[in-house]
Amino acid sequence: MAGSGRAVKRPAAGAGVAAIEPTPAFAGGVRATASDRGGAQRNLVGWLFALPFVLIFTIFLAGPIVAALVLSFTDFGLRDLRNPLGTDFIGLDNYVELFGDATFWQSLFNTAYFVVVGVPLTLTVGLAAAVALDRGIDRFRTAFRVGYYLPVVTSIVAIAVVWRYVLNPDVGLVNMALGAVGIDGPNWLANPTLAMPAIIAMGVWRNLGFAMVVFLAGLQTIPRSLYEAAAIDGAGRWQSFRHITLPMLRPTILFMVVITTIGYLQLFEEPFVMTDGGPLDRTLSVSMYMYRQGFEFFHQGYAAAIAYVLFLLVAIVAFVQFRLLKPQA
Amino acid sequence: MRPTSRAAVLAATFVLIFSVAACGSNDPGAGASGAATGSPPAPGGSPAGSDGASPAGDISGELRVWGMGNEGALLGALADAFETEYPDVTVNVTPVDWGQAVAKLQTAIGGGETPDVSQMGTDMMGQFIETGALEPVPSSVDPSVYFESAWNTGVVDGTAYAVPWYVETRLLYYRTDIAEAAGITAAPTNWDELKAAATAMQEQGGAEWGISLGTKNWQEYMPFVWSNGGAVMNDAGEFALNSPEAIEALTYYDSFFEEGLSPTAVPEGFDITPAFVTGTHPMFVSGPWHLGLVAEAGGADIEGNWAIALHPGKDGAPGTSFLGGSNFVVFTDSPNKDAAWAWAEFVSRPESQILWYEEATVLPAVQAAWDDPALGDDENLALFGEQLSSTSTQPAIPTWSEIASSLNDQLERVTAGDASPEDGAQAMQDAASGIGTGR
Amino acid sequence: MTALSQGRTPPQPPAALAAAGPSRSRVDRRARLFLYLLLTIGLVLMVAPFAWMLLGSFKPQAEFLRSVPTWLPTNPTLDNYERLVARLDFPRFFFNSTVVATAVTAGNLVFSPMLGYALAKIHFTGKGVLLLLVLATLMVPASATLIPNFVLMSSLDLVNTYPGLILPFLAGPFGVFLTRQFFQGLPDELLEAARIDGAGEFRIFWTIAMPLAGPILATLGILTFLGSWNAFIYPLVMAQEPEMYTLPVALATFATGQFQADHGMLMAGSVLLVLPVLAVFILVQRWITEGIATTGLKG
Repeated sequence: MAGSGRAVKRPAAGAGVAAIEPTPAFAGGVRATASDRGGAQRNLVGWLFALPFVLIFTIFLAGPIVAALVLSFTDFGLRDLRNPLGTDFIGLDNYVELFGDATFWQSLFNTAYFVVVGVPLTLTVGLAAAVALDRGIDRFRTAFRVGYYLPVVTSIVAIAVVWRYVLNPDVGLVNMALGAVGIDGPNWLANPTLAMPAIIAMGVWRNLGFAMVVFLAGLQTIPRSLYEAAAIDGAGRWQSFRHITLPMLRPTILFMVVITTIGYLQLFEEPFVMTDGGPLDRTLSVSMYMYRQGFEFFHQGYAAAIAYVLFLLVAIVAFVQFRLLKPQA
Repeated sequence: MRPTSRAAVLAATFVLIFSVAACGSNDPGAGASGAATGSPPAPGGSPAGSDGASPAGDISGELRVWGMGNEGALLGALADAFETEYPDVTVNVTPVDWGQAVAKLQTAIGGGETPDVSQMGTDMMGQFIETGALEPVPSSVDPSVYFESAWNTGVVDGTAYAVPWYVETRLLYYRTDIAEAAGITAAPTNWDELKAAATAMQEQGGAEWGISLGTKNWQEYMPFVWSNGGAVMNDAGEFALNSPEAIEALTYYDSFFEEGLSPTAVPEGFDITPAFVTGTHPMFVSGPWHLGLVAEAGGADIEGNWAIALHPGKDGAPGTSFLGGSNFVVFTDSPNKDAAWAWAEFVSRPESQILWYEEATVLPAVQAAWDDPALGDDENLALFGEQLSSTSTQPAIPTWSEIASSLNDQLERVTAGDASPEDGAQAMQDAASGIGTGR
Repeated sequence: MTALSQGRTPPQPPAALAAAGPSRSRVDRRARLFLYLLLTIGLVLMVAPFAWMLLGSFKPQAEFLRSVPTWLPTNPTLDNYERLVARLDFPRFFFNSTVVATAVTAGNLVFSPMLGYALAKIHFTGKGVLLLLVLATLMVPASATLIPNFVLMSSLDLVNTYPGLILPFLAGPFGVFLTRQFFQGLPDELLEAARIDGAGEFRIFWTIAMPLAGPILATLGILTFLGSWNAFIYPLVMAQEPEMYTLPVALATFATGQFQADHGMLMAGSVLLVLPVLAVFILVQRWITEGIATTGLKG
């Protein structure tokens, strides 16, 4: 925690959601205690707790996940649907072809664009909304919370209709607002450069409710007494936000960064419904391209390869994020 | 996860899963040589089967039918009529959303869970024929009963795999009042007249645009190629998208955009109906569904101020218009093919076609049905009927989805002004050749 | 160690305010008003599509075809709802969605925290591998596994059944992570005390850890419920007969034709689709933010 000008009372170890530096007495958690019951027992208990998830995973998820991987090494297509075992193994050909596929690289760029801009925006606004609705105001809290969460629950069909209207070059709200200050608004969704920002705006708008809800939950676990103590010490709102809220929320923020990034890397619905990947493939996401190859062009093997490249990408990004943002243990 | 050993175990699981599924599906080998089990009565209603006993008595059991979207919901009417004719059959209708129909059919085939009969869009044929999951149509079904283009949508290598159900084709919708204001008294019948009409409507008729043409829709572009004597593929089975006829058609098509007669930047989800009613876009090409939509949207204001015309040909109407619609297919894994083909025969009877028209407002694929006054007396519909004898459509090749997508991309580049018609047509040809026919 | 939070935050304690001085409270009030204004503008933006959807569900089809869309219906009608209920076997689809969403949520509220707790508080071999497994589940795109998944379900005879729709989602990776996150922050001392007293691990989990996780569980619950309720592709593929369709599937199927969507019906259906989730959210969100009564540990 960065030092501040004023002495702000540090939260005691273990309080709230944050994994603060443990005081020596608790270092290593269970392991260090005297009532240690032995490794074997712990293993059994641990695995028993894990059993439901592992069962479900093994039966229902493992097979298809691996099957998809194997698929990516084949040229599975229309002819193979009724005779899957007869499909031809082509080794890494799909991946090699992917490497030279310009549309794939475009989709990768589009998706990266969406993530790099969208994640910070979504989380910042979501956090701001959560903080504001937690302590900033006292009245109408429920109404605000429900309202901000509405886009998350509204069907994408309705959202698409409204957003298309909002972005309509002639009668849309955005361009009317711009016109009021003398700017001639462009045709957002038909403009190759502006379509993606429009999609990003829509994505942020749609998902910040989700971030808000998770941050709200995280905020609850910060003890009020900390804020009171800080107020007594004379800290202002911004200071207590910076030195209490943010650090205590750090694990939640990390969690949300990872989850949101993983989700955004799999961007699909917004461009699918709004622009069908256009104009000129400038809003085509990797997920959309994969769907198109698999279910419109029937190159299931190729699509599986795209899926695994995406998977690899997500794994790498998540790993890097963990490394960078993890609290020092 | 450690790759090697675990992958081996799980790969074995994969093999196991697929082999279980393969063994689970019915009769993977039956139906291979096109011999249908039992021959259905010939279309026309007379139950004259060649296997002795009255087929109506043999038709029994459960019949699972998949219908798409709205039509799936309305299919009940047909199902009821069918059950009246064949009381021993229980028809089980499952409606499937259009947007996911392809995915759902694919997974069904992969998992061996296909129905007996399914509706299938005419543009889906090539793909699904390729899977080998469709049963060839028995020889007792007479192709000449249907419109030729409709029948051909399901034909690959001389074998038919689908029975046409309903069709649609595209005509020119135009504002008569705006045309009159522009000094045009008759519908355009050829390319020159179409161009002149669009220009006049924009310059003198008070419309913002001359015509609304698709910037990236091959279904609106190809009719001009066909009308000019061109085709997607030539008789030798090679692509001919860069033929002189195609280039000429593309140049003509592009000229509407070049000359500012049709908008080049159309937002996604743009709806032509209100634009037509308002008069900003006084002409467009579409199918029969817009008859109702325009009337409903325009109400009293638009009544009498619009009309439809045959698709303009190069030198005279009718040109060759696009044909779409839906067929019925029977799956090789069906345990009740008798009933399935009986269904196909039943829906092809003129009475059934008219019943369906009244239910869903779609055009019959059976030519005889058009003699019925329900259709013949309606002027607009009669015009569609006339156009139906001059249509063409996509080839039934498995790679068509992918090729269509490339065509649209290249068309978009040409209409946007990023490529010349010659380059665009060549690019279309290269893309199609690169993708191949998949056969 | 300080006590964990207890209930709603009262506004800034008067003592601190008074200590800060009168000028500060005036600035404070203006800032607060500004905040309200900002939040309200945001709210309007957030709610607009929902309002559109709601108003649209009362419009006849013709009004959707106008070139300049309007907000209020000129000829409001209940026709869309009537047709929706007539065409769809609404109770059935509603029931299906409810059964599936409730079961999946219940499972996620029990099985995911179990693993989350184990990953956070129990040291056992293979823990790292499990964590990776969970992560992997989160990262593989769904459409890649669609066909293999269906083939698997078909061979297990689970196609077109409730178990088929429910089982694969009973313990989700998101829940595992969310709860692990939270449990990591629980003081070990708390659990140690119980262990010393001889309590079994599951008892500790169930009677100590879970109650403390109230807000997190409420969050997990609502998010899981929402996800399951709105799921589309998987239930579409799993159901072979319309009796097994869930609400979103039924809606998309019955409200779209090959050429034209029935806008009014789609809007009406979307409204009906949203209402249950909203209801659950309104009920549950209170719990997310009420905070939790705590055992009051000594610091």
